[in-house]
Amino acid sequence: MNAPENTPAEWRAKSANQTRLAFGQALLEIGARETRAVVVSADTQDLLGIRPFIERFRERFVEMGIAEQNAIGVASGLATTGLHPYVCAYAPFITARSMEQVRNDVAYANQRVVIGAAASGISLGVAGGTHHALEDLALMRSLPNMTVIVPADVNEAYRATLATLEIDGPVYLRLGGRTDEPPVGDPEAPFRLGKAVQLRPGRDVAVIACGALVEMAARASDLLKKEGIGVRVLNVHTIKPLDRDAILAAAAETRRIVTAEEHHLAGGLGGAVAELLGVEQPTRMRMVGMPDAFAMVGPTGPLRAKYGMSADAIVAACRALLA
Amino acid sequence: MSETRETLVKRLETQARQVRRNIWRAIRAGGGGHVGGSSSAADILAALYFHRMRIRPAEPDWPERDRFVLSKGHANAALGAVLAQAGFIDDAVLDKFYAFESPFGMHPDIKVAGVEMCTGALGHGLPVATGMALGARIQKKAFHTFVMIGDGELHEGSNWEAAMAAAHYKLSNLTAIIDFNKICQSGRVDEVISVDPLADKWRAFGWEVREIDGHNMQDVVDTLDMLPLNPDRPTTLIAHTVKGKGVSFAEDTYLWHSNSVNDEIYAKALAELGLP
Repeated sequence: MNAPENTPAEWRAKSANQTRLAFGQALLEIGARETRAVVVSADTQDLLGIRPFIERFRERFVEMGIAEQNAIGVASGLATTGLHPYVCAYAPFITARSMEQVRNDVAYANQRVVIGAAASGISLGVAGGTHHALEDLALMRSLPNMTVIVPADVNEAYRATLATLEIDGPVYLRLGGRTDEPPVGDPEAPFRLGKAVQLRPGRDVAVIACGALVEMAARASDLLKKEGIGVRVLNVHTIKPLDRDAILAAAAETRRIVTAEEHHLAGGLGGAVAELLGVEQPTRMRMVGMPDAFAMVGPTGPLRAKYGMSADAIVAACRALLA
Repeated sequence: MSETRETLVKRLETQARQVRRNIWRAIRAGGGGHVGGSSSAADILAALYFHRMRIRPAEPDWPERDRFVLSKGHANAALGAVLAQAGFIDDAVLDKFYAFESPFGMHPDIKVAGVEMCTGALGHGLPVATGMALGARIQKKAFHTFVMIGDGELHEGSNWEAAMAAAHYKLSNLTAIIDFNKICQSGRVDEVISVDPLADKWRAFGWEVREIDGHNMQDVVDTLDMLPLNPDRPTTLIAHTVKGKGVSFAEDTYLWHSNSVNDEIYAKALAELGLP
């Protein structure tokens, strides 16, 4: 392996606690390690922090402009020639607008295309409903062949991006927007695809969370611990393939499951967990996430709280199951 | 023994006639299908697969091969015919059109030898072909990428996203062939949504444009042999064609965009197409 382009201290500083920038930093290392890696931008050079890659590997970068359908089709075509494309895009546009290209050209044709999707959820809160992506997990996880990953912080985003070097198929990597995501968990922990990470032990309730809600779940667990309530926290960073064993074990051992995500309650992580438990091991559940509504405009933090995506909401869901 | 220009054209005309017979044969086996758009494409496909493209049917994944993407995937009967005649797939597959678990369905499937992409949802081929041409450029490979697009298919906006990008990157290793048979599913394209002025549109997007008679083998071969037409631009060949070409009752009518074919109709079609 070549020397890394960045030391961990350097790329963490450059990622500014934003997963979208950690993706760009990881691409720099991927570019050095894998000569077949190419980056496709949809006028998103700063959004995903890929200017260092462009400077270093100019011949392996293609800008496709504000044309997401074409960006996905081009990525598929590049992949058929043996290259490993990384598409950098806005989550709301690259999923909803390009859904047919993702389905046919990437998933159905089973091409090795990684989609780095920034600005997911309501991370661009002030941009309004046109720029929120609250259905992307439902769309992406319904596609055969697709791997779906939701990193919780910059460490996980960086390592998950590197992990795509070993995934021979389509990947959807869900990233945040211009909002800091505080570090959660061990920054040196390896990323293991499809394996949940237990952040807190507990046998009274289990919170199964992804993305920005993982840190909130950890805080909720810490709050309830003071009352003697043991809340297990699982960071399920891989939505597909789902870690069935960890989820079934949590259900068996706690008998109470709370899911937490920045996504519509329909079709996301909560839906995936409910599908599994409903068939294998019916368990009482509460789901924390975006209700069936378009979010209003506002800064991301207050918006999350308004729509029930907060540590307090997770605490309340745990209490409801314990009542 | 080297082939003269005259014998080349004669050979390709015979092979194109065989392609049309195989199109009808497959569609008869399936009980019906897209006769019109498959038959309009037959001469160009014959010229590509039996003359212009550098391919190795015994080694379908040969990295240096020229690429062909059938964006108008509903003409898969024609693609299946040339793939069988070229030796990519077994001839018997043509009798399994639409059959249970057949590799040969209404639309191309990348899992089949010689098929480069799953197409048929319209407006996908040009972006994918643009990616293939860029892939050649990035890896300094010499292969050429061809994509055949229907005229009605040009209603799909994704074509024009790719048209802009391919011209921006000066992809002279990319050729888009428009099968301009003037008819889509509901009727004449100029009555559904006009694509005129078609050549001007492509020129305005930065492509080198040539209009050809898509059923004149001499014209088709001469043009394909001149590619790239411009070292700094991708090429558009606007091939004027006749939907359902080769069988009088199927020609130039939207009723034969897709239609059912029974034994009686099949016999009439073969009689008109003549001996292989």
